[in-house]
Amino acid sequence: VPDRARDSNQERAGSLGTFGRYAGPATLILSSLADGPKHGYALTKDIEQFARIRLAPGTLYEALSRLEGQGLIEALASDDRRRPYQLTAAGAQALRVHLADQRQVAEVGLTRLARGWGRA
Amino acid sequence: VTAPPDADLRRVRRLLRWYPRSWRARYGDEFAELLRADLADRPRDRRRTADVISSGLLARCTAAGLTSHELPPAEQIRAGIVTVGCALAAFGALGVAMLAQLATGWQWASPDSTPAAAGTLAMAAAAGFLALIALVAAIPVAWRAVAAIRSREARQARLVWPAGLAVSCAAFLIVGARHFENWWPGTGGTGAEHGLVPGGLAAFGWASTLSASAYWAHPALWHTFPASELAWMTLSPVAWITLAASVAAIVRRVSLPAGLLRYLARVAAAATGSAGAFLAGAASWVLAHRPGQASLFRPGLVDAAELLVMAVALIIALRAAAALRRALAAVQ
Repeated sequence: VPDRARDSNQERAGSLGTFGRYAGPATLILSSLADGPKHGYALTKDIEQFARIRLAPGTLYEALSRLEGQGLIEALASDDRRRPYQLTAAGAQALRVHLADQRQVAEVGLTRLARGWGRA
Repeated sequence: VTAPPDADLRRVRRLLRWYPRSWRARYGDEFAELLRADLADRPRDRRRTADVISSGLLARCTAAGLTSHELPPAEQIRAGIVTVGCALAAFGALGVAMLAQLATGWQWASPDSTPAAAGTLAMAAAAGFLALIALVAAIPVAWRAVAAIRSREARQARLVWPAGLAVSCAAFLIVGARHFENWWPGTGGTGAEHGLVPGGLAAFGWASTLSASAYWAHPALWHTFPASELAWMTLSPVAWITLAASVAAIVRRVSLPAGLLRYLARVAAAATGSAGAFLAGAASWVLAHRPGQASLFRPGLVDAAELLVMAVALIIALRAAAALRRALAAVQ
């Protein structure tokens, strides 16, 4: 890959902003991979457990291919047909930034709710 | 581990077919494993089927360079050139059908409205320019393909089949159109603008796009056509589509140097500009129609439908050309 193209990919790799409607699935996948490599089915089960969302196979692989294309995850060698994926350093950084932004939004929302609507 | 039932295997294979070959080569095995596990968990799930179909179609659009999820630049450039070419081929086929109809009218009388006259002139000029662009794009690609076929590269790049199909389809279309152009309704015309488009060319364009016809919506009239003409109207679009698909396969498979890819990208941009001028001319004719206009130049529903499809094809071509420009900027 020519240098300019690689730089362009790396510039985009710091954020999930280019994922559009796949930003949600991408965040779930990166969060799942944060504690170690997983293959497709293991990702589905893990996400179902911690987020109570079952990602459909097509959506999961669309998000996986975008994450891999931007260098946020990478495929590992495997002896069987179930290929595991792991987080890259760029992926860890992108997830950290994205979750910090999300936390800020959540904190503002919860604070305003508490102020205006009282605690649940 | 027990082997999954045959029915599940068949369902997995069926679902995988929604994805393009390049995607299946990369993700097919692991995706099939996930689908088999998911089918075991939830044997019946229509949402899963809909999700796989929509994701497969999206992957096909991505492979054609049409989504925001861009491919590696080298792949994106080829995908963009192929998509612009295919979209403009569909645009051109409908455009030729429309222009041939107007050229036939001009053989007999002058248009009685300025929009129809100006629109036809714009369409004729843009069509000529588009034909020239197609020629200057096709010559270097054909040259590289012939050189590859004469060397050992052809077998490796799987060029022989698409090249053979392209030549066969082109021959079929030329011979067929030359035969059916004898029935061109503009023959013998004596209108004031006789010869806006050279008669032979207009007749050839008319015959080669006979299938773009409102008669398909009137089955009761089909018996009035000779069987050979009906066969031609059915088979010629198949030949057009096969020709476009074969040329697309050649462009994807033949080795093209970076300089030639850049040249083709510029040619593609020029072609979308000309197609825009053609569409403006066609819209001027179709949309400015007023009741009472001479019947020779009266646009019908089929022309409005063609205009709509041409607009969609042009939007696809423009989108692919934009992705092509971004990919070229990334590699320069």
